[in-house]
Amino acid sequence: MISLGHFLTVGAVLFGLGLVGFLTRRNFITMFLCAEMMLQGVVLNLVAFSRYHGNLSGQVLGLFIITVAACEAGLALALFLTLYRRGRSLDSGAWQSIREIGVQPTIDVEPLMKTVPSPDYPRLPVAGRLPVAAEETARV
Amino acid sequence: MLPNSEQFSALLSTLSADLVAFLPELILAGGITLLLFLRLFPQLCRVHSGFVAAGVVALALTTLLGNGHVTTNADWEPGAFTGLLRLDLFSQFLRGLLLLFTLLLLLLCDQTGIPDRDDSADFCVLLLGGTLGLMLMTSANHLLMVFIGLEMASLPSYALAGFLKGQRTGSEAALKYVVYGAASAGVTLYGISLLTAVFGTGNLVTVTQGLGHMIADSESVPLLPMAGLCFLFVGFGFKLAAVPFQFWLPDVFEGAAAEVSAFLSVASKAAAVGLTARVLLLLQEANPESVRLAETLGIALAVVATITATWGNLAALTQTNLKRMLGYSTIAHAGYMLMALSTLRKDGMAAVLVYLVMYLVMNLGAFAVVAVLRNRTGAETIAACRGLIARSPAVGVSLTIFLASLLGLPPLGGFVGKFLVFSAVYDAGQAYAVAGSPTLEWVYSLLLGVGIVNTVVSAGYYLAVLRSAGLDEAEATDASGHALPLGEPWGVAVYLVGLSIVLLILGLVWNPLITLATSAIR
Repeated sequence: MISLGHFLTVGAVLFGLGLVGFLTRRNFITMFLCAEMMLQGVVLNLVAFSRYHGNLSGQVLGLFIITVAACEAGLALALFLTLYRRGRSLDSGAWQSIREIGVQPTIDVEPLMKTVPSPDYPRLPVAGRLPVAAEETARV
Repeated sequence: MLPNSEQFSALLSTLSADLVAFLPELILAGGITLLLFLRLFPQLCRVHSGFVAAGVVALALTTLLGNGHVTTNADWEPGAFTGLLRLDLFSQFLRGLLLLFTLLLLLLCDQTGIPDRDDSADFCVLLLGGTLGLMLMTSANHLLMVFIGLEMASLPSYALAGFLKGQRTGSEAALKYVVYGAASAGVTLYGISLLTAVFGTGNLVTVTQGLGHMIADSESVPLLPMAGLCFLFVGFGFKLAAVPFQFWLPDVFEGAAAEVSAFLSVASKAAAVGLTARVLLLLQEANPESVRLAETLGIALAVVATITATWGNLAALTQTNLKRMLGYSTIAHAGYMLMALSTLRKDGMAAVLVYLVMYLVMNLGAFAVVAVLRNRTGAETIAACRGLIARSPAVGVSLTIFLASLLGLPPLGGFVGKFLVFSAVYDAGQAYAVAGSPTLEWVYSLLLGVGIVNTVVSAGYYLAVLRSAGLDEAEATDASGHALPLGEPWGVAVYLVGLSIVLLILGLVWNPLITLATSAIR
């Protein structure tokens, strides 16, 4: 028999995982996904309690949370995109130009993404004539 | 589960009165739509939107002031819109304050040229949207509205912090604000979910009544509602920039434009203080005779206030960037306001309302001077202030008045605010001693001492700027060695001098303000 406690445990676990992930991850997108996971834990809590109390207030709050989380994600992802265009990196450690005087920037030894060398594929020899390609205007 | 016809007719019967009281927010929402639609017309899209936005805010402010039928807080039981909002005198006071600040800020933005004409519609829409969210925060009477208000205020603030797209620091400020803000929103929501869970509803009155009785009656407080309350206060603490949730603030202030920093520093703080004060007042009203609440929550808040004020003041001492220094000063002032809130008494809350009015004028003025310095010298450091009084008497003297007021020197407005806060803390100690709790008397006496020592410490950095502005030789000199004039536009000079005169008047005539604040709390 699945009781209220089970739902609350799953909600708390989701929230805790999100919080831990948010505090430990370096990739912006992963950090933000973790923050979203915290919200999902909350929504699960609310819906479970709504069922338990037999009213709709928890469900209404849940709907609002989902909407607001979408707005927040939209804004944050737009910001991350502009940051990526500027720095070509999603590493949060790359953004340390504002800090206290006399505090050195934290340098991570491990790179954010391990670059895997591509396997050595066999190459085809050049044959035939060069196709004529129309010059395309670059669109950004 | 669904509302029955009786509840529905009750909603309809008060709807028109509620809508009239809600008119300022509706005007702001209409103004936002208007600003967005103006761009559709080619003739109008080249017009600076600042004036349109200022007109909208002024209209909302006059509507709010014209709402004369709100006389006592008891008129507003059980709250507007089936108890979601509480548009009483308290919220009237804070909404008026927020609208006034936004109007003044729009006037400043028009003078300092941020935003420029092309970006002005975006900027004004974000500013008005943020103000709307802050106004909802101050009148929230339901945890749902608390959450919506917090988010509606936060999302535009994130975008505003990164508004200077060409600057690397602006983007970095926005990044830090968004990431921390999202996490704090998650924690706040978890608290809200626990509180709604325990009490079965999100209505603040029901929740605080239940919590107040739980704290006052039982020896051991149940874990779940207490955890919910703590998580909720994490969210408030983030908005207030109370230690240990203050780390985002100096970085965001340094990276964002001075005008945006002023908005975050004053408006955002005013709404957060208002919301916290409302929750604390409701908690206290649930059980007015008991000192249990003050012995638990009051002492916790007093500890946070002490650390916040001390941290802010000590960290500000070593700063060289003016905006960062003002950021730490903001943290310190949040500490002073928390001192008054921690008394959990009505005169403490009234003192905080008066403090907010003074704080609005002096902090807006200080950030306005930073914006002028940025425009004229290109630097925002304390070194850029050198010889400011010789270079421009209007800007230099206004800066002196603003900083002296932030320090709390009489006869300026800041002194009145600090005096009221400290006397409220002292009174609280005496009152709790009479109520039979010597521990609390001791705690509040200690808090008073901490406040006074902190004020003395804060002289270190405020006076350093003033020494630089008044006594140091200006770096920019002409051939004969005289300081070059700063060359600020006359509009800015008039604006700054006007704010200083207001601050001086508020420091001399403050009885009407106290009467107003006291009536807002009762």
